[in-house]
Amino acid sequence: MSLLQLENVVAGYGFGDVLKGIDLTLERETITCLIGPNGAGKSTVLKTISGLLHPRHGSVRFEGEDIARRRPRAVLDLGIVQVPQERSLFPLMSVWENMLMGAYILNDHREARRRAESLAERFQLVRDRRTERAGSLSGGEQKLVEIARALMLDPKLLLFDEPSAGLAPQARAQVFEVLGSLRGGGWTILLVEQNARSGLSIADCGAVLDAGVVKLEKPATSLLADPEVARLYLGARRDPVGVSTNRPPERPAASTRVTATRKEKPVE
Amino acid sequence: MHLVVQAVILGLLTGGVYALMASGLTLAFGVMRVINVAQGALIILSAYLTYTLFVHAGLDPFVALLVITPGMFVLGMLLQFVFIRPLRSEDREELSLLVTWAIALGIEGVLSVVFKTTYRSVNTGYTNATWDVGGYTITQVRFYGFLLSVAILGLLFLALTRTRIGRAIRAVVQNPVSARLLGIETERVAAVGFGLSAATASAAGAVYAMVYPFNPNSHYDLISLLLTIIVLGGLGSLGGAILAALFMGVAEAVLAATISPTWAKLTFFVALLTLLLIRPQGLFGVKARGAI
Ligand SMILES: Nc1ncnc2c1ncn2[C@@H]1O[C@H](COP(=O)(O)OP(=O)(O)OP(=O)(O)O)[C@@H](O)[C@H]1O
Ligand SMILES: [Mg+2]
Repeated sequence: MSLLQLENVVAGYGFGDVLKGIDLTLERETITCLIGPNGAGKSTVLKTISGLLHPRHGSVRFEGEDIARRRPRAVLDLGIVQVPQERSLFPLMSVWENMLMGAYILNDHREARRRAESLAERFQLVRDRRTERAGSLSGGEQKLVEIARALMLDPKLLLFDEPSAGLAPQARAQVFEVLGSLRGGGWTILLVEQNARSGLSIADCGAVLDAGVVKLEKPATSLLADPEVARLYLGARRDPVGVSTNRPPERPAASTRVTATRKEKPVE
Repeated sequence: MHLVVQAVILGLLTGGVYALMASGLTLAFGVMRVINVAQGALIILSAYLTYTLFVHAGLDPFVALLVITPGMFVLGMLLQFVFIRPLRSEDREELSLLVTWAIALGIEGVLSVVFKTTYRSVNTGYTNATWDVGGYTITQVRFYGFLLSVAILGLLFLALTRTRIGRAIRAVVQNPVSARLLGIETERVAAVGFGLSAATASAAGAVYAMVYPFNPNSHYDLISLLLTIIVLGGLGSLGGAILAALFMGVAEAVLAATISPTWAKLTFFVALLTLLLIRPQGLFGVKARGAI
């Protein structure tokens, strides 16, 4: 049985549907990369899984159980953790406090500390900067701590929403390195990425979301190899002549994107 | 010079109490994005409860706190549940002004019916007692009030940093979506935050009742003072509110002593207007969101 299965999911925020009947299946211990243009509804898919948003129709099955109407807390209890697109550390708490907050639902301080210690061995940043205020870290560093914090509950399913967005190339490379290192660790991962090539290259499966429906769901390698997909969704390939045609519109600069998404207030 | 130092001492003692009052307002804003203009009325309500328990049950105001504080906590949670929570988060900030203003008028109305508009005050045996410290006079009641305020602020700080619910409150203040994603039930936490905010009104009210004569209209003065302080301190910043409160306490006392008490009241508004013109984010404020 697959770990997560979305069937005909319809969801939205007010008038109109953003997701217009999504089908998506995640197999255990695989990485699936979800790509698609701006505003396609990628974040909305993650929110319907994590319980921030409840779908209007359809089912979200996790290990066979329908979780579509659960609150975030209940979803978390099942072992599903989301790292949202926006910055999600608590800026005035230290890196260490942030790590401990990752295990808030355990309500066991000692166990939380033990887990944070063991993650600190794996994430040098957490080890070196533990007493610093999270808000003083760079964007890339914050993302790494967010990823580390997401592992505090040792979840079954990890949802990452554009972890590399708005980062400098070096920080982006670090994020992908960490994400790649999660492979084979027993986690199932759903990764939303705009840096589609990098995302797909660490993934087993790829899915293309466009205008609220899943257009394609294929092994990542075959998506990467498909010239049509490349033309429409992957952006221009760095091509030897240096000229590319049909380049899709650039994403707006990181700063405008942040203000645009901060307003997001998912409705119940 | 003697006069000024004396005024500074008085101002700091008063400022400590202001700090307690303003912390309640800041907390409510932090957890719920609500500017609770009923905070002044809650303080006056506590003053009347202190008065009633003192006059009719002979309870010392400092002892009465043990009863009134939990009561105000529960009242705060109730108000949040009944009036604030139903507001949709998109327009909560604006609508909450109207709703909490209505709560303030409601409390004022009830107090006017029960206690009439006569000024009251609580005169304990030590109300007029003073100490002489190196030639400066310290009113004992004000000193106790200051100590109480500092103690409660300290407790609040410990609760926010050392307890599970306190960490949850800070998480909700700093990043509500992230808090939900980590399994914090934000609505429940906000209710507790609001309850704590109302609970701070209890001690503030007790001190107020011992230091100033009050009637049901006194909350207007209080809330304008408090709003000035939290704007000065930067909306939502606890540290900023405390600094601003001490600053205002001292400024008020010094001006009252050197120029005139009327001028002192006016200072608040002149300070507020000037500040809003030159530094809209507040004098000490970091930024509006998440400074607790
Ligand atoms: N809270 C909200 N209220 C109303 N509309 C929203 C809200 N959040 C998102 N939307 C709208 O829903 C659509 C899909 O948004 P979503 O954030 O899921 O897209 P996305 O694929 O994640 O885009 P991006 O690549 O920019 O992150 C967009 O048109 C967006 O404007
Ligand atoms: Mg998105």
